Amino acid sequence: MGLKPATNPDVEAVRIELSIDGKSVTAQDGVSLYDVISMTGKIIPAMCYHYTFDPFGSCGMCLVMQEGKKAPVRSCTAKAAAGMVIRTEGEDLFLARKKAVEKHLSVHPLDCPVCDADGHCELQDMAFQHGVTNLASAKQKFIPEDTRSPVLDFNMNRCIACAECINVCKDVLMIDALQFMKKGGFNQVVAKGDLALDCEFCGDCLAVCPVGAITNKFSKYLYKPWQMKTTTTTCNYCGDGCQLHLETKDEEVVRVTSPLSWKNKWGDRSETAKGHGGLCVRGRFGFENLDSKSRLTQPLVREGGQLVQKPWLDTMDLLVGRFTEIKRQYGADAIAGLVTARCTNEELYLFQKLMRTVFGTNQLDSSARYGHMNFVLASKHAVGLGRTPNDWEDLTKAKAIILIGSNITETNPLTAVRIKEAMRVYKAQVVTLDSAITNIAKLASHPFLIKPGTEGAVIDGLVRATIDQDLVDEEAVGKHPHAFEALKNAVADVSLERLAAQTGLSVEAFREIAAIFAESTRSIILCAEGIVRRTNGYQNVLKLMDLAWITGKLGRTGCGVNTVTEEPNEQGAVDMGVAPEFFPGQARFDDPAARDRFARAWEAPLPPTGSSAHLVEILKRCKSGQIKALYVLGENPLATLPASMEVRAGLERLELLVVQDPFLTDTAKMAHCVLPACTYAEKDGTFTNLEGRVLRVRQAMDPLGESLPDWHIMTALANAMGCRWEYQSPNDIQAEIMKLLPGYYNLGQPRKVLPVPDQYLSAGYEAEVKARYRPTPLSGERTRPFALLMGQVLMHSGKLSTQASGLITIAPNTGKLRMNIQDMERLGLHDGVKVRLISDRGSLQLGVQPDQSIAPGTCFFPEHFNEPPVKDLMTVSVDATTGVPSFKQIWVSIEQV
Amino acid sequence: MSVVALTKKILQAALFYEIWDAMKVTFRHMLHRPMTFQYPREQRTIPDAHRGALGLLRYDDGHERCVGCDLCEAACPSHCIKVISAEDTTRPLQRYASEFYIDITKCVFCGYCVEACPVNALAMTKMYEYSTHDKRSLLFDKKRLYDIGERHLDDGKKYLYAHNQEKNVEQSREYRYYFPQSVQKSTQPPPKHLS
Ligand code: SF4
Ligand code: SF4
Ligand code: SF4
Ligand code: SF4
Ligand code: SF4
Ligand code: FES
Repeated sequence: MGLKPATNPDVEAVRIELSIDGKSVTAQDGVSLYDVISMTGKIIPAMCYHYTFDPFGSCGMCLVMQEGKKAPVRSCTAKAAAGMVIRTEGEDLFLARKKAVEKHLSVHPLDCPVCDADGHCELQDMAFQHGVTNLASAKQKFIPEDTRSPVLDFNMNRCIACAECINVCKDVLMIDALQFMKKGGFNQVVAKGDLALDCEFCGDCLAVCPVGAITNKFSKYLYKPWQMKTTTTTCNYCGDGCQLHLETKDEEVVRVTSPLSWKNKWGDRSETAKGHGGLCVRGRFGFENLDSKSRLTQPLVREGGQLVQKPWLDTMDLLVGRFTEIKRQYGADAIAGLVTARCTNEELYLFQKLMRTVFGTNQLDSSARYGHMNFVLASKHAVGLGRTPNDWEDLTKAKAIILIGSNITETNPLTAVRIKEAMRVYKAQVVTLDSAITNIAKLASHPFLIKPGTEGAVIDGLVRATIDQDLVDEEAVGKHPHAFEALKNAVADVSLERLAAQTGLSVEAFREIAAIFAESTRSIILCAEGIVRRTNGYQNVLKLMDLAWITGKLGRTGCGVNTVTEEPNEQGAVDMGVAPEFFPGQARFDDPAARDRFARAWEAPLPPTGSSAHLVEILKRCKSGQIKALYVLGENPLATLPASMEVRAGLERLELLVVQDPFLTDTAKMAHCVLPACTYAEKDGTFTNLEGRVLRVRQAMDPLGESLPDWHIMTALANAMGCRWEYQSPNDIQAEIMKLLPGYYNLGQPRKVLPVPDQYLSAGYEAEVKARYRPTPLSGERTRPFALLMGQVLMHSGKLSTQASGLITIAPNTGKLRMNIQDMERLGLHDGVKVRLISDRGSLQLGVQPDQSIAPGTCFFPEHFNEPPVKDLMTVSVDATTGVPSFKQIWVSIEQV
Repeated sequence: MSVVALTKKILQAALFYEIWDAMKVTFRHMLHRPMTFQYPREQRTIPDAHRGALGLLRYDDGHERCVGCDLCEAACPSHCIKVISAEDTTRPLQRYASEFYIDITKCVFCGYCVEACPVNALAMTKMYEYSTHDKRSLLFDKKRLYDIGERHLDDGKKYLYAHNQEKNVEQSREYRYYFPQSVQKSTQPPPKHLS
């Protein structure tokens, strides 16, 4: 619907009445006439209209006759008004529309046979529909193709100047990378300033372009739409869980398309609060790993120091023999398992069941431990809900959003689009607190740059400022006076002036942010890598809970403390019980009732609670020799954790290291046995995204080579180990999960649970909060001049995206340290100059490059690349409560060599 | 049975009447000119519109006509064509078929593919002799199809003329679709078959 929802979504617009084709229709005042017509179920042609942005009105197709007007009017730009009498059909309108099509075609190259849009082209459809077979005069534009960008090619001969690409980029995504420019006598779409396009490459312009004017380099000329099989599935790169269409030819993924498309131009604008259907660069162009040459297609077994290909049967036989032997000789506690959160829920469920009932060990963990567990455990502790309380719609309709420690346009681009919509449509006030100059900060109403590692201190200040200014919600704190008293005492020593000096925020800023947050009706906090992946992550989330509680935002609809997940199914991993502390459904592992229930359901004894171990503990036990066999499913601790964790030494001590992965990862290279697993394109299942929505993953192609889906391998393994697992497909596993966790799937809708902090606040809170606000010497005192940060960049996700050649083309590993330009000038460095980067852990040499998103006093290296091994300069600190290792920030010196 | 009939029957049996009757046709044909061809020593003249094996054609300058648009594959009722296209990096804005297969064992010689082709790259030839011991060799690949096209170029063109798809070679590029590089004039009159 082309109407921007009123600034306050709770206020309804005035209803009016008008007549369309003789029928009386009621509509909202000021809505585009086109929307009113399409609401009645009538589809009239429109080539420049899309419901996600305001009508532009250039194509001249949406003509209707309005009583009292001589010429037809463009219904998309006309506003519906009371008493209008509209006719949408008739010979005259047909001819007028036909004329419009002819006008477009008369300057069109008509090279459909070579055009990638052929068969999926609105101009073609319109020409066909209106029977255009002959053109009185035709002209060619002869515009050379613009192939300067690394991803998108612009063939302006085919452009119909509908501006959909420009509008989606500007209005919906707020990136604004495209513009019209008059060149060679024609209005052409060019990148801003007629440079090579260098944007976020979400490809939404490509999706909405109704003709073949924009094509992508990775699929160009490789297909015709009718040759491909389309499978709707869920993106495998981040926790946003976007739906996407994988278009495949046999065993080759040709392209990825989004639900957002010119074909879906009719919709309700207010529905975009739940997502506009677009994708980001990873989802749309990161598909080349799926059918890549580097995929593993055969099991590998180490023989004489070499990994050699073996048939499945021999490998499994060997594996089962070794596992049985180790279990017999050293006991179940000699076996441990790690799994990636890129697996489906069904596989994660099966994994923990395999570890617990077949191997009999509770030494298991998933990649949610790298950060998300901090949030889950804190949130579960405080409000009894181990996930985010708010969904995308809440986020979009929020009035105030505090975004702390999150470079959200890079990590979770589509959640970022929701925040952008909140700013643009619902006029939300957005406060960003980060130690980098993020893209979202450039759009935010209240962007604040803080000193690296001071996120926790900032929250201290906000809590203090809230209490100081008496912004507390009387009702919320009135219910728990003792708890509030304790909190007040805890923050009594917090001095805003000291924090101001420490964090770089002014005292006024603290007060202002606190006021914005407390005074809005719908306030949301979103914390991400800067909180959950850094030291004190658990405590910092609890502090945010305190802030939300005293301002009355805990448990109120549309408010809450949220996080984002980096991998697609981190939430699912926790929900499926792939953590030593949880059973499926986040039941405590040491809860006797839960133990009883699961032991009965699985008809097997459960491992005792005493020997549980999470990621860090598992690696420690590998090194100490306590764990003899490690089953690594898609995880890659060797390439992820810094050298100081001594992962290599630990893995070397193992008697059996089994890695199951689609690729030969660094960890797999050390394995005794490598099992080829399928990617998400080759299996069925579900992911749970960051909203808690369970989304379907559908099989798009047959497994490559001899690779198998993870659930299949695990089932085979369990059966070979003497169990009787009768899963024939992921559906069977799903049925079992449904029985154990009724309502988990919830038809793909987020489950709304209002968090309640009452229990937490009334029992034990006072004792706990005392230590929370003690001024901590933050992440080791500043010993060296620069803060080195490692994190995610937009084009990549973990190590998986580095296998996608398209993403590597867009964002290769430059091997350079990214620095603030002023710092570089100060040190007399320029692009490409080699420096020595020194931390307490060691030093290495690498080049530098300027990066405008890096704040002075910091430098950045993407965590996706280990060449040079910057991660090894990091120290690791392990959270005492949650066992989350944090290793993304350290103080360094930079010296020119 | 009457006596007359019985006598007739006996007489006929004695004189082998049935055989003579049957041989009548044979004797009659001994005096005719033979109707059959001595295939393969003699070959029939085949009309230009004949639908024989398919071949791919080139322009006179040697460029492949086929732009890999896959319309033939879409048109084929027996799904025996497979086109794999790619970007022709040597020329701007051009695609070509990097692989092209026709499973001639499945082809029903309807000629739809030829009709669908916007650049008249496909033509039917007068070639029909391709029996083989190895069925696999009847999956014509791109090379084989261009070979056929080259060997039977005249036949192919005649087929297109006969089916009113192409007037002569000069016009062939302009006749149906045209492409940015190949057009000389910026304004093109409407195609003749439409005017
Ligand atoms: S944009 Fe559409 S009409 Fe234009 S050449 Fe491509 S397919 Fe044909
Ligand atoms: S490039 Fe496509 S979407 Fe953009 S103005 Fe041209 S036709 Fe419209
Ligand atoms: S935002 Fe996340 S889920 Fe969506 S397309 Fe991008 S990587 Fe995939
Ligand atoms: S002649 Fe008919 S059956 Fe044979 S390839 Fe062409 S379209 Fe298919
Ligand atoms: S229709 Fe013609 S140009 Fe298109 S793929 Fe077939 S032979 Fe090639
Ligand atoms: S849709 Fe109204 S002018 Fe294009």
